[in-house]
Amino acid sequence: MADSSTHADPLEELKNTNTGVENKKMAMWAFLASDCMFFGTLISTHLIYRKIYPTVVDPTAIFSIELTGFSSFILLMSSFLMALSVSASHKKNMKSLRFFLFGTIIFGLIFLGGQVYEFSHFVHERNLTLSSNVFGSTFYVLTGTHGVHVALGVLWLASWLGYTYSKKFKWENALDIETAGLYWHFVDIVWIVIFTAVYLVEYL
Amino acid sequence: MKWLTYIWIGILLLITGISIPQCLNTAGEGSFINKTGQQSTLDPQGPIAQNQLDVFYVTLWVTLFLFITVGGALAFATWKFRVRKGDDPDFIPAQSHGHPLVELGLVVGSAALLVVIAIPTFSGILLKDQIPVPEDGEVIEINVTGYQWWWGFEYPEHGIHTANEIVFPAGKVVKLNLKANDVIHSFWLPKLAGKLDLIPGRDNKMWIQADEPGYFWGQCAEYCGDSHAYMLFRAVALSEEDYAAWVVDQQTQSVVGEADYSPVNFEEADKDLVLKGTDLFVQNCARCHSVDPNVQTMGPNLAHFGSRTSIAAGWLENEPENLEHWILHPDKVKPGNFMWKGFPDPYNPKGPPQMEGLKDANLTREDAQALVAYLYSLK
Amino acid sequence: MSTTQATYGTWSRPLKKTGLVGFLTTVDHKKIGIGYAIGALFFLLVGGVEALIIRLQLMSPENNLVDAETYNQLFTMHGTTMVFLAVMPLSAAFFNYIMPLQIGARDVAFPRLNALGLWCFIAGGVIVNLSWFFQAAPAIGWFGYAPLTSKQFDPDIGTDFWIIGLQILGIASLAGSFNFITTILNMRAPGLTMMRLPVFTWMTLITSFLIILAFPPITIALVELMFDRHFGTHFFNVAGGGKPILWQHVFWIFGHPEVYILILPAMGIISEVLPVFSRKPLFGYPLVVFSGAVIGFLGFAVWSHHMFTTGLGIVATSAFAFLTMLISIPTGVKIFNWIGTLWGGRISFSVPMLYALGFIWMFMMGGFTGIMHSSPPVDAQQQDSYFVIAHFHYVLIGGSIFALLCGIYFWFPKVTGKLMDEAVGKIFFYTIFFGFNLAFFPMHILGMTGMPRRTHTYKAEMGWAEPNFWSTIGALILGVGIAAVVLQVIYSCFKGKPSGNNPWDARTLEWDTSSPPKEYNFGYTPIIKARDQVWENNHGTDLKKMDKIAPDSHGIHMPDQSWWPLVVSIGLFIAGLGVVFHHQTWGMLIPFIGGDSVISLLHITMPGLLLTFFGIYMWALEGPGGYHLHPDPEELKSAIDPKESGHWE
Repeated sequence: MADSSTHADPLEELKNTNTGVENKKMAMWAFLASDCMFFGTLISTHLIYRKIYPTVVDPTAIFSIELTGFSSFILLMSSFLMALSVSASHKKNMKSLRFFLFGTIIFGLIFLGGQVYEFSHFVHERNLTLSSNVFGSTFYVLTGTHGVHVALGVLWLASWLGYTYSKKFKWENALDIETAGLYWHFVDIVWIVIFTAVYLVEYL
Repeated sequence: MKWLTYIWIGILLLITGISIPQCLNTAGEGSFINKTGQQSTLDPQGPIAQNQLDVFYVTLWVTLFLFITVGGALAFATWKFRVRKGDDPDFIPAQSHGHPLVELGLVVGSAALLVVIAIPTFSGILLKDQIPVPEDGEVIEINVTGYQWWWGFEYPEHGIHTANEIVFPAGKVVKLNLKANDVIHSFWLPKLAGKLDLIPGRDNKMWIQADEPGYFWGQCAEYCGDSHAYMLFRAVALSEEDYAAWVVDQQTQSVVGEADYSPVNFEEADKDLVLKGTDLFVQNCARCHSVDPNVQTMGPNLAHFGSRTSIAAGWLENEPENLEHWILHPDKVKPGNFMWKGFPDPYNPKGPPQMEGLKDANLTREDAQALVAYLYSLK
Repeated sequence: MSTTQATYGTWSRPLKKTGLVGFLTTVDHKKIGIGYAIGALFFLLVGGVEALIIRLQLMSPENNLVDAETYNQLFTMHGTTMVFLAVMPLSAAFFNYIMPLQIGARDVAFPRLNALGLWCFIAGGVIVNLSWFFQAAPAIGWFGYAPLTSKQFDPDIGTDFWIIGLQILGIASLAGSFNFITTILNMRAPGLTMMRLPVFTWMTLITSFLIILAFPPITIALVELMFDRHFGTHFFNVAGGGKPILWQHVFWIFGHPEVYILILPAMGIISEVLPVFSRKPLFGYPLVVFSGAVIGFLGFAVWSHHMFTTGLGIVATSAFAFLTMLISIPTGVKIFNWIGTLWGGRISFSVPMLYALGFIWMFMMGGFTGIMHSSPPVDAQQQDSYFVIAHFHYVLIGGSIFALLCGIYFWFPKVTGKLMDEAVGKIFFYTIFFGFNLAFFPMHILGMTGMPRRTHTYKAEMGWAEPNFWSTIGALILGVGIAAVVLQVIYSCFKGKPSGNNPWDARTLEWDTSSPPKEYNFGYTPIIKARDQVWENNHGTDLKKMDKIAPDSHGIHMPDQSWWPLVVSIGLFIAGLGVVFHHQTWGMLIPFIGGDSVISLLHITMPGLLLTFFGIYMWALEGPGGYHLHPDPEELKSAIDPKESGHWE
């Protein structure tokens, strides 16, 4: 490996760590562990207040489970598109990479659009604001935080999409796409948990 | 340099030496480590405090044992295996890496000692948390409300509201319902029981019992703002007959009526002063302080203020000079005090107060003396 | 010898290694470690002054040296400063400087992220302390219980300074921890298995895991508090249905692991120093490591022992009491193992060793009072009294600070290449030891006789005057001792005698570098064959001696310096300040000329965030860069040519 006559695959070189996992990926996993605690605290707060005040609002009268179900499906599909982008980057297929990244971003934006619509509907038609009651407080802060995570993810992926058009892009950057993918999948999984614990559970 | 070190250590030892007897045999009562001080936990006067002290002694003995054995091993090892003059500087001791059996033994031993502490611990938890129901079914129930920076005591069975001095019969279970009006406070009456917090939005319950009639001091033990340090209270345990008489006294109106706040009883010789005090009270004080024992408003109930032993929530003894000072300068006695600055508007805390205080009342010394005469008539 | 690529277009990377630019753009873990240490020692003195004023106020009953409002600000800031701005950064200084050297690495995994941590620490520390200058220091206690922190009871901006300062400090801690975890797991020298790691590096790893799992809860709690204060939510607002006790739960879910974050690095340092000055390996290494991990894990299960007096109910109280007692076992195991290390050794009483021995004794005493607190009946009387203050100062000063001072004296020769005077160091040690005990032992008595904590003053008739008086004397002596140590550190940087590479005949890999280490740490790649590798090299058998692989013809790859971590930190600082001051007038921020118009989030926070994002983009576009250095041939004596090694480089 130290021998310069055979040029090893730079992506493989990055795996020359004690654990075999690239540094960037390891750091992303550590970050995701902390993000678990982040969302765990928010979700617990929401569930605790739901238990203490089961009747302060009737979520089933406020939620539009069809819309939210659709948004959730969109986000899930975006994860699928993300996985395809990662695969394309490993296969060094620029066209597919750009196409699937673009797709992930669009689906992410649709999800965010759904959130924005949902929030404004709740505020204007259902009179549920941050300060209406405890439910408003926990709901908006939890789903809002998740939305911010999605938005930052969209920004991140859009930046990478732009970077693929730059001369400096190298196929080693497949690691970065994969790292972003880990983040994106995490955000999606968190949404599955939120969708279940905040929305679906109310319909039991 | 060495002699400098020794001299300095000597000075430090000297200072430490002087401090020890001073700390152990403090002024006032002169009792060993102030054992019988007003808020001392080492002088239990009731079953809960006694139990908690007993468990403390168990932990003290266990940790003392550990201090002697483990500390002793540390001291011994440090002394025995130290480098001595004349030792070979290149000597390397045997590079032992450990001894699993010793380790295991020590772990098991520590766990055993913890069991010694755990058993009385769990029975102590039960004692404190389970409010006993006595045979005759008689439980004295008092609602304790924590305010910034005073205590409201309500006796629901008797329709009495009082403040800052909690009275109850000795030898009986007294159940306290703890509520907070604003922020978190903590009810600590060390000679009778460990503390329990008053948390807004949460109803906590505890019980206390005094073995014998007595007078005790308590203090708020959860930081609650500017005058946390000044939020004390007094507790009085009376014999059953005395308590019954106290209840009757408290239930009696001390002023003529809703339309007339003048005291029912007062010295004829002080009449002018007392009536002047009545007017001043109505103008400046009545909006926050009720003098009807059935009614609780924003400030401490003063219906029977004249018979209390302390002012400003246990901070000052109830004497004329103290009371005058408290009326004229509440801000100097209890910083941030609402009696001085008024109650802020919760929606606009930095704007004009919702309820005015004495800051702009410009009371004179004569005014204060009139109010003192009035208040002392409310026995 | 070294070439640096210009970065993005014409914006070339900083090249100067010295001077202000060199320091502001450094990504060298050693310089960053020193930066943390300087910041931490500065804030240690600030927190110490706050403590001394507190003690002077309490020296006599019904004193009024400072008024109650100021006093309440002082104890809040003292606690916040000492925990977040002194002990944590001082630990971070050692993590940064020493850990990469101990694992044979050239730097941490993400050098620029490391620099971000340093600058965010400075930014957070400045924000919290800026409150003093606006006469709005928070007066809420270092754990800021709701609802005292609500807008209703705390309308001024002190609490906002506190919230934002802590959030930025949280970023610093998290950034550092992601880095250290990746570095320790991924960048160890060949042959350095996990069970050959120095204990200090193990503790760095465990502490980093604690940080990444414990800081998110307090981040959320602070966000919820900020929303309550500024956006009308009801997380802790009773009138809206909020439960103040939720704050306590979430805070202590962070807060209890936090105290292990404060003590585990200290235990790591002691575990390095005791073997060196006993000339024996650490007794029971695997169990010491395992106990550290168990303490870290169980540390998440005991938080409500801070809430025994809140009326949790019999089941919860009993469960947390049981778990708290359990956690004393691995702690005790460590103490037994340290004594076992001394046993049969050859003990020399250098200054670091005095601190280490003092640590064992003082931490043991703090642990004893901790055992007392673990029993709820006992805790019912002790909680919120001076007894608790005695307990945590015994473990934090007698424990953490003693260990950190020990680390300073121990590693000073490695960092500076100079020695600190032993005799003078001993005098200061005794000063600190006596001063500390005199200051804090009487507090046990005060607590037992009913003195509550966080009280501006007390009545003369309580009988608390003498212990308070002597406690103040002790605090003054302690203050003199600490100041003296800081002065000795500074003096020795300039006037210390040369130390050589390994003045203590120490055992671990960092002692195989020059003093101070070269920029690239190790000229060769070490092949590790044993724990305590340097000891084996000097005193052990040939079988276990370390091999050295020379670098290949490219030389050693070094990361480039960068402005962007500093820029991102400045952006966060501005954004944070904007949040603190939004809804206040410009006149408040800039007296005399500010005017009366109200500051909105767009005025300061938005530009701050834009600067942050700009910095992040430039950081990403710049890439890690890098250049190559060729090591001193002296260092490569007996190194194996990489082509013949069979090991990778």
